[in-house]
Amino acid sequence: MVADELDHAPEVAPPAQRMLILTLCALGIGGAASLAAIALIEAVEWLNRVLLIAPRARVQYEDAGIIVPLATVCVPAIGGLIVALMLRYLSPLGRPLGPPAVIQSVQFETPLPDLRSGVTSTLAAMVSMGFGASVGQYGPMVYLGAMLGGVVRRLRLGVPNLPAIAVACGVAAAISTAFNAPIAGLVFAHEVVLRHYSTQAFAPTTISAVTGYVLANVIFERPALFLVQFEGVQHGHEFLLFGALGVLCAGLAILFMRLVLRITAMAAQSGIPQVLRPAAAGLALGLTALWLPDVLGVGKEALRFATIEGAFGAGELAVLVAAKIALTALCIGFGFAGGVFSPALLIGILFGALFWTAIDGTGALSTSGIAVYAICGMMALTSPVIGAPLTTILIVFELTRNYDITIAAMVSVVVSNLIAHRVFGRSLFDVQLARAGADLSAGRDRARLQAMPVSTCLTGDIIVATQDTPVDEIHARLDSSPWSEAYLTDSDGRFTGVLSRSARKPHVPNLQFHDGTTVLEAMQALRGFIGDAIPVVHRDTGTLIGVVSEASVIEAYLDISQSLRREENAVL
Amino acid sequence: MRFFSALVAVLAAPVQAEDLTVVTWGGAYEAAQQQAIFAPFTEATGIDVTTARYDGSLTALKARAASEGWDVIDMLEPTAISACDAGLLARLDHAALTEGPADFAPAKLRECSMPQNVFATVMAYDPDAYPGIKPTSIADFFDTTRFPGKRAIRKSPDDILEWALLSEGVPPAQVYDLLSTDRGLRLAFRKLDQIREHIIWWQDAADPPRLLTEGRASMASGYNGRFFAAQQSGKALSVVWDGRIIGHEVWSIAKGTDAPESARAFIRFATRPDSMARLSERIPYGPARQSALPRIGLQPGTGIPMRDHLPNAPQHGPNYLVRDSLWHSHTADLRKRRFEAWLARGGDGG
Repeated sequence: MVADELDHAPEVAPPAQRMLILTLCALGIGGAASLAAIALIEAVEWLNRVLLIAPRARVQYEDAGIIVPLATVCVPAIGGLIVALMLRYLSPLGRPLGPPAVIQSVQFETPLPDLRSGVTSTLAAMVSMGFGASVGQYGPMVYLGAMLGGVVRRLRLGVPNLPAIAVACGVAAAISTAFNAPIAGLVFAHEVVLRHYSTQAFAPTTISAVTGYVLANVIFERPALFLVQFEGVQHGHEFLLFGALGVLCAGLAILFMRLVLRITAMAAQSGIPQVLRPAAAGLALGLTALWLPDVLGVGKEALRFATIEGAFGAGELAVLVAAKIALTALCIGFGFAGGVFSPALLIGILFGALFWTAIDGTGALSTSGIAVYAICGMMALTSPVIGAPLTTILIVFELTRNYDITIAAMVSVVVSNLIAHRVFGRSLFDVQLARAGADLSAGRDRARLQAMPVSTCLTGDIIVATQDTPVDEIHARLDSSPWSEAYLTDSDGRFTGVLSRSARKPHVPNLQFHDGTTVLEAMQALRGFIGDAIPVVHRDTGTLIGVVSEASVIEAYLDISQSLRREENAVL
Repeated sequence: MRFFSALVAVLAAPVQAEDLTVVTWGGAYEAAQQQAIFAPFTEATGIDVTTARYDGSLTALKARAASEGWDVIDMLEPTAISACDAGLLARLDHAALTEGPADFAPAKLRECSMPQNVFATVMAYDPDAYPGIKPTSIADFFDTTRFPGKRAIRKSPDDILEWALLSEGVPPAQVYDLLSTDRGLRLAFRKLDQIREHIIWWQDAADPPRLLTEGRASMASGYNGRFFAAQQSGKALSVVWDGRIIGHEVWSIAKGTDAPESARAFIRFATRPDSMARLSERIPYGPARQSALPRIGLQPGTGIPMRDHLPNAPQHGPNYLVRDSLWHSHTADLRKRRFEAWLARGGDGG
């Protein structure tokens, strides 16, 4: 029935055309997002090489005196300054953008922030990572993919839900390219961005994810991020250890996310001018890197070392985990552009290695080696941060192609995710959004009702009179209308009361909405309400904006529910 | 192409007949070069080639090149880069030396060197030492519990550090990234610690096959061509291709050469596809030029199809590392320092 309604809507293209449009969009966006993601990685790697951030470049200047220490201290600070200036002078929004903006756009059917802010944010992320800041690449890649998908919104192609699907396609291709993991890319787009599994969205995102994979893996032959040899879990009791690791990772993830939020909130009070804040974070990072070079940049080397027994001592691991948490929170809080995904991977893998080192050190329990614990820790810490348990499990599977290690990681991931969701929230992104007024924690329908002001469903043709109008005249107007109440204002348009058909004197109604009232609040307030409609007044001036009837609030609610239901069950 | 090659030979011919001292590595390798390159070069140009041998080191180049009148030197690419930086080699005009610079990719035409062949450092073992389970992976080289016996290793930080990390399961693409960190070096030396008492050091490339066949070592690192030659002469030894390190061998001209024209003529001749193919037919070192590959046929005398024995033949498996020559050259001092500290102290590699 719903499908029929859609088919008859005048702006909707015929099914065959919709299928063609969806497929072409998926291919086009998938290809573009994947190429853009590869270009971003290449650019960052190039910058890392020439700026002596990458160890492979640094070691070649080891004997060249002061060059390497100088680069270590100066490059991140200079990068910070460039990022701050870019954001201030090139970006209308003036701040970096990431997955929260993408989620918001898709969940609330709004356009992404303007293209110029998006491009600046991407370039700022490239500079941040290229100059060695402790921030991640996946957030910017997700935003880049989404931005390319967002271009489709401008075209009127006659396919319902296309803007959201196009954005999801870009995200799927970006993640698929980044990890060489098409299934994880597909699932990430659904789990984090779309939050439903309609056939209409599933098919195009799959095509995009595969396009990204083909480009990254087959055409450009990019190396896999991670290869691990693992013979399988040898002891049953280890699954309890994986669960325990999940519990600890949840705690650490919550600490990490709280710290990111806290430092972001406190940055303004730090007394450092905004334009110097990233540089200050960069300087702190550079000085730390003088004795702990592993904190610089994305940390691919440390990621690998964490899976090798004995590469780190327990003390080194603990220090590195603490330093990486603090410096990542500092870099992000102080305004570097970049994500939390890959720092979370690194913190998690180091913590997993630390956990194994501690267990192994006691000698009380036999284990299957460090690799599986490192990977469990990596994913158990990342999953609560990005709010994507299924994606993280699939990333393990696709990266390692190892079934045993995936099952072990699954245990840690779900335990960690459960605890962190209960204590903190679904993800750092969702909590950031909620703090910005877009709370998705109680579901998308509720969030949309909450985002919709009641002033968008005003009822027209009401009877408004100034308070000095004779009562009989108002009654006469009421008699010739379907209304039983008239709304009175003073000479400045301020709402003063309601005059009902049966009364001679106006009264002040006990229920009034203001321009900030949301449809959700209105629905809750309307319980037990009797009368025509509720006046909506301006919050500050008290001016009457209009009225909403109970029916129009319910209609708005039904519209939102129906559009969500359509979107979630759409086939084409 | 053939016409052009012939033309080059003709053009090279009227050069004044100054004798040329070509410095190379001796043994089976030099024997193959003699047949494939030196003799045909003399035949085509009338320039006599005298050979000298060295151990491939920069030290030898510094000490002997001027006094012994070295002209053309057969070098490992990283050493050539270091020697070039140190001003010991002549700058080359590649356009005058080859008609097809793109044909050398992925090998690089560097300031002082022309790529000539591709070789692999591989591990080999004495099959009699392991009658039961055979070593199959690079990790087995470091596993003296499962595979006891002496390990013959070149006394140099080249290759063995890479092997140490490969044996820890590090994928080839990441080996140099990790070795670039202090942690990576410590890890590699810790791995070497595990076999410390079992090491026999070698310095001459001809040693490893001999050490194996004489029963003095059970496993050895060495160059694939040398092991192949030993197998050809009936010696029982087996090669493990897993973890092989592929490197480029280059031609360079000594800075103080007294026969620059002949030296250039020699490099022009030696880097022609047909010269490269002739060498590959005699010793399984791959040609540095793509167009030489299809020209490689059977080994003269034995009829062995040589393409199957080249370092990059597909049946040798996917786990191999291509040596990063620039990295090797720029980290040579650091690695040497750490290696010597490890040798001296017996500790954790300093």
